[in-house]
Amino acid sequence: MASELHSQHTGNSYPSDQQSLRLRQDSSPVSNQNYPQFNWSSSPAEDEVDNSGPPRDLRSIPLPMSLKRAVWQVQQMQVPVVSKVESWKWKKTKSLHKLKDRTRGFLYFITLWGKTLQKIGGNFGGGVQSYFLFLRFLVVLNFLSFLLLAGFVLIPSIVFRSVGTSLQNSTGPEECMNYNPNPEGLVVFYHYFLDFLSGTGFMEYSYLFYGFYNNTIVEDRSFSYNIPLAYLFTAVFYFAFCLICIIARMGTAARVAVATGGSAVGNYSKIVFIGWDYGCLGDQATKLKQKNLHYRLQVDLEEERLRKQAAALTLGAKILLYSLRVFMFFVALGLIFAAFYGIFEATNFSQSRTGEEGILGLIFEYLPSIVITAGNFVVPMLCDQIALVERYSPSTTVILALLRAVFLRLVSLGVLLFTLWRQITCEGDTNSQDCKQCQYNNKLYPCWETRVGQEMYRLTLFDLLITIAVLILVEFPRRMVVDNSSNMLTQWVGRQEFVVPSNILGLVYGQTVVWTGALFCPLLPFINTIKFVILFYCKKITLFYNCRPALKTFRSTTSTFFFLVVLLFGWGLALVVMIYSLAEIRPSMGCGPFRFFPSMWSIVPTSFYRLSQVTQEFLFFIGSQAFSIPLFTLSCVVMCYFIALASVYGNSVALLRSQIKLEGRDKQFLVKQIEKLKQLEMPKQ
Amino acid sequence: MGNKQTIFTDEQLDAYQDCTFFTRKEILRLHGRYHELAPHLVPMDYTNDPDCKLPLALIVNMPELKENPFRSRIVESFSEDGMGNLSFNEFVDMFSVLSETAPRELKAIYAFKIYDYNVDNYLCKEDLEKTLNKLTKEELTPEEVELVCEKTIEEADLDGDNKLSYADFENMITRAPDFLSTFHIRI
Repeated sequence: MASELHSQHTGNSYPSDQQSLRLRQDSSPVSNQNYPQFNWSSSPAEDEVDNSGPPRDLRSIPLPMSLKRAVWQVQQMQVPVVSKVESWKWKKTKSLHKLKDRTRGFLYFITLWGKTLQKIGGNFGGGVQSYFLFLRFLVVLNFLSFLLLAGFVLIPSIVFRSVGTSLQNSTGPEECMNYNPNPEGLVVFYHYFLDFLSGTGFMEYSYLFYGFYNNTIVEDRSFSYNIPLAYLFTAVFYFAFCLICIIARMGTAARVAVATGGSAVGNYSKIVFIGWDYGCLGDQATKLKQKNLHYRLQVDLEEERLRKQAAALTLGAKILLYSLRVFMFFVALGLIFAAFYGIFEATNFSQSRTGEEGILGLIFEYLPSIVITAGNFVVPMLCDQIALVERYSPSTTVILALLRAVFLRLVSLGVLLFTLWRQITCEGDTNSQDCKQCQYNNKLYPCWETRVGQEMYRLTLFDLLITIAVLILVEFPRRMVVDNSSNMLTQWVGRQEFVVPSNILGLVYGQTVVWTGALFCPLLPFINTIKFVILFYCKKITLFYNCRPALKTFRSTTSTFFFLVVLLFGWGLALVVMIYSLAEIRPSMGCGPFRFFPSMWSIVPTSFYRLSQVTQEFLFFIGSQAFSIPLFTLSCVVMCYFIALASVYGNSVALLRSQIKLEGRDKQFLVKQIEKLKQLEMPKQ
Repeated sequence: MGNKQTIFTDEQLDAYQDCTFFTRKEILRLHGRYHELAPHLVPMDYTNDPDCKLPLALIVNMPELKENPFRSRIVESFSEDGMGNLSFNEFVDMFSVLSETAPRELKAIYAFKIYDYNVDNYLCKEDLEKTLNKLTKEELTPEEVELVCEKTIEEADLDGDNKLSYADFENMITRAPDFLSTFHIRI
């Protein structure tokens, strides 16, 4: 009895039960492979019962291949014994599995950029690959949004351009409807190029911008299409669609976190056992991976040392450190607000100098974009220097820098929009000189939506141009210099490193600009799709030719979940802008599909009253209290149910984990008892 | 699928398909890779299950394994004699476990075997030290190696015997979602 327990203890290294096969453990100390022995004496009846599953389960059993094939043959021979219905079912499941395998192979073949991403992952690791995966997600999202917008807004506008009756007759003062975007006189050829870059001239009055769309409703015998309503609803649905896509993608990442109990495995065991990527290819990639692991271990050891040091600080030193950190926080905040002020001034200046000719005019128009990009480049560099003084632990420093950069990027865009708003609505004061007539500044902005759309268009284009310019003018020359000169300085500077977090922020910024501008520039998602595709290939080229993989990586900052959270912030900003434009600002009277409405949203009530009586009553009922309050209560109940379920699962995971620990200790205790008993027995004998 | 190939019988291919995570095409491709490692030793006709084993030295020269610091241990874990000589069955088995679709439990079993250098079914300190040195190309100082091994055992050891049994190892693996993507060789 004691020896049996003992042998069970030494041999117990593998999972001792599988669903369909009974395994007996090999307790012989001679065999060095120690495979669990297959139990040949299992009765046919048991195998029949499990027959729907065995072909799949056989793959997951840790037997040597020859034994598995023998088992398979035994199973094949047993099949005719089973009844007709069951064998038909089994054949169907088998062919279904084969079909699934084949479709999986086919999908892998046609997935966009599948092979490229695999190559990137093998050579540069998971962090860089996650950037390209995120970029691919954004390309697909933008393309689908473009299809949405094209189908419901663009194509009907093109088809019904000349037909259709105006929805509401002109009811405004004459000056407000004065909008003439077509360039007058002879246009010099290079003007076309400048106009392309700044969205003015021939591009202004085109399908690209809001101002071109008509506020017509097309009515036929059995068909009616309300273009302004379609425009509004498509814009709203576009936002909802993007939100659903982002949340769905976050869901997969979050599900993994919940399944693993939320608590991350300890750093050291993670690095030692899971750190090595077996798919790593190539000599250089391997060496880099080893250096990376070495660095990560050193960072963890360093953090341990710092923690011990911080705990050992005297009170005086602690007070000094904390006051220094608070001071540096305010310095960083001051830098960021200085950047915001710069953007504010630049936007005011740019808007006041519109209409300038030639290259100088182009520069004035691009001034906000230039200042934003310069700020996004300079301020993080200064914040890095500040972080050296703050002396946080390395992982905290990285996360803090990233949060500061996110704040800077998104809020600088917000400052730009705020400045525009100030000028369009005369600082919200509809009784001021310029805004009294039309409730928006019609002298500066005869068609303000188009102007906002143009600004977003310029931001997008400038972003792409800067990326390409940096690629050609900075990264390629840097590589050539580093490769060809053996100067100490150049070797110390080294090749470009592909820094994932700042690249991701660039993508999030670009996408936020597109979301903000989509209401005013319906073709912007399409332009963005093309921009991101170009960006993918540019980044791929620079990655393979100019970059070395980042030596210093931090897991948390390269996680997909984190990217999607930041993207959600951008979406929130764009949503605020959209809601405000829909509800508060009066649409221009000289252009656009909402020409004579008091606000963009007011088309919904107007069209509502054109519906049939039955539909109206039905919709009223849905909106009334009798329906919405029970619905709200029901959805609260459902949400509470899911939250309770999730917490129950979390609790049971924690409980099971502590149970495993306890069982391990019990085992240790029992073994010690057995040893004691053995020792007591031995002297007796 | 075209049935023009004469390397395996249909029954053999069905058996391989059911016993591994590969399709027929991939198994034929694997046979091609196995054959090109030693064209004179490996027969093209496997219909009578020839008994042909390739030595460790040939297998670890494959481009997928050449740079892997654990290549010898991987091949040894899948060979029946423990010396690293792989027959085609074991060759396919190895890449099947390391493929994308293999489940976590199966991979964990073999990962444990790979890291268990002295094959005593426990990951003791010496095993961890060897693993660590292979991971970092021996660039850590002995004190750092000592410290990291201590911390690893401290984090993962549940039953308090100062070494990691399979249960401890598996428990740690289930809490790490990266394992499936890192323990994966594309072939």
